[in-house]
Amino acid sequence: MKSHHEGMAEGSPRSQFVTETKSRPDLRDPTVVLSLLEADQVVAAKWHSRFGRRRLSPGVRVLLWGLRIYVVLMLVAVLVSVLRALHGSP
Amino acid sequence: MEPRHKAPAYETAHPTTASAITSPAAHELAGLLTHEDVDRARDRWRVARARLTERRSRISGGFRVLWLLIGPGVLVFLAENDAPSMLSYSATGARFGVGFFIPFVVLTFLMGLVVQEMTVRLGAVTHRGHAELIFDRFGGFWGLFAMGDLVLGNFLTLVTEFIGVRAGLGFFGIQPAWAVGGALLIVIGAIATGRYWTWERITLTLAIFNALFIPAAILARPEWSAVGHAFVTWTPFPAGNRMEILVLILAVTGATVTPWMLFFQQSAVVDKGMQPRDIRAGRFDTLLGAALASVFAIAAILATVPLYHHGINASQYQAAEFAQALEPWIGHTGAALFALGIFEAGIVAAITISTSSAYAFGEVFHTGHSLNRPLREAWPFYLILAGSATVAAGLVLIPSAPLEFIVLTVNVIAVLAMPPALAFLLLLVNDRDLMGDRVNGFWENVAGVGVTVLLIIAGMSFGLATAFPKLLRI
Repeated sequence: MKSHHEGMAEGSPRSQFVTETKSRPDLRDPTVVLSLLEADQVVAAKWHSRFGRRRLSPGVRVLLWGLRIYVVLMLVAVLVSVLRALHGSP
Repeated sequence: MEPRHKAPAYETAHPTTASAITSPAAHELAGLLTHEDVDRARDRWRVARARLTERRSRISGGFRVLWLLIGPGVLVFLAENDAPSMLSYSATGARFGVGFFIPFVVLTFLMGLVVQEMTVRLGAVTHRGHAELIFDRFGGFWGLFAMGDLVLGNFLTLVTEFIGVRAGLGFFGIQPAWAVGGALLIVIGAIATGRYWTWERITLTLAIFNALFIPAAILARPEWSAVGHAFVTWTPFPAGNRMEILVLILAVTGATVTPWMLFFQQSAVVDKGMQPRDIRAGRFDTLLGAALASVFAIAAILATVPLYHHGINASQYQAAEFAQALEPWIGHTGAALFALGIFEAGIVAAITISTSSAYAFGEVFHTGHSLNRPLREAWPFYLILAGSATVAAGLVLIPSAPLEFIVLTVNVIAVLAMPPALAFLLLLVNDRDLMGDRVNGFWENVAGVGVTVLLIIAGMSFGLATAFPKLLRI
């Protein structure tokens, strides 16, 4: 795992030069664009990398299944409740 | 389009705050830059310039930084003050007057604030949307469940937004087809700019009109001492049909904490290009949104209290019927403001919810998913956005469509689908591989788990009351 504090995109020397220059930067220059973005913020970098699957512990699996069953049961309850409301029963 | 000319041999992603220019892959990335990167870099340059100004003048520079970074938080909360939500708030004012629901609304916004702040951190640190992270970290099986909840909830909610638009403009005698068609044009017009910043500012400008409920409330001449008393004591507690009270409690909760908000704000934070150093501003943005939305929600309750005082049964009212019923008590101006507020609530939510669906689609199917992309580069994204809005708008115009069914269920479904969404959120935001040192602290987890448990209890109460109606008569 890389550090989350390797350096700041806006704090890099190239970025400082770009921001301290008063005129608008020339964004046709790729190095200017790259100097303003974080390394994992560039679309192509995101396209070529993925966060891998995490290992799901038994506890997490039980939690996710429990909540899924909960949602299904509750949706049935909503359906019953709405049908009752639409047909005017108490 | 995405740089598809290279085989997608995925590497493991590592969040980093290092500048892309210092990356070992900088040379390769320079040749793969997209329109989206260029627009985002332009936004980052403006923020960096504002930060330079902040060093010289703390007040004006600080204000400029906030102005540039405010957006996703304010938008998500004002958009969630949508047509069915304002209808729920209005129903509590008309049925129970000033009392329990006033402080309860503030509590629900605090709950919303707790969970939405986590999406700011997730988006700023990982630069990935919520749907993408769920699919990456939990796989397609669980990802599809999460998407199923989102797609169902979003579509039903989108339909109710156009019902709100139709009802709000119906007060002024505008025909449904014109009202809904015009609203659809506004949704499509907002995305036609091809720029996240412009889209965000247009939508924010529209969202500020949620404040129309404030003059409507003032015209209702609320008893401020009763409002103060309700805040302190949480009383009077609503009395009467307990099932109706329970449904209203769920509806009001669903008016502030819903799955689409998590997906939308994280994706918007990513699209805006926010970075970890912007988290503080993102928190302020979220807090401001929650504060504004809670004030406007309370205003909607207060605006309909005259119906309670005059014993008018509002249990079957739709949005515009509230405005018509209020006219004798708050005048034509007040009623017109109320109707315009319902229209605004519908249109802003239609824009943001359809965008939320499109972001999630693009993230899951790895197609371009940014409002900074031109149409030719991200047409599936724009197609989902405009298509979902168009289908929902069309459904509202079908004479026999089950609109009442949808309005009755939409906020309740949102609450019931929220606990699994919160479980994914809490697992993601506590994942050190994603968040590094920015994982949740102890109290953030206590608050997040607390909100989840409260929502589960509320949902189970509803389920038990539905299965065993006699329980509520004890």
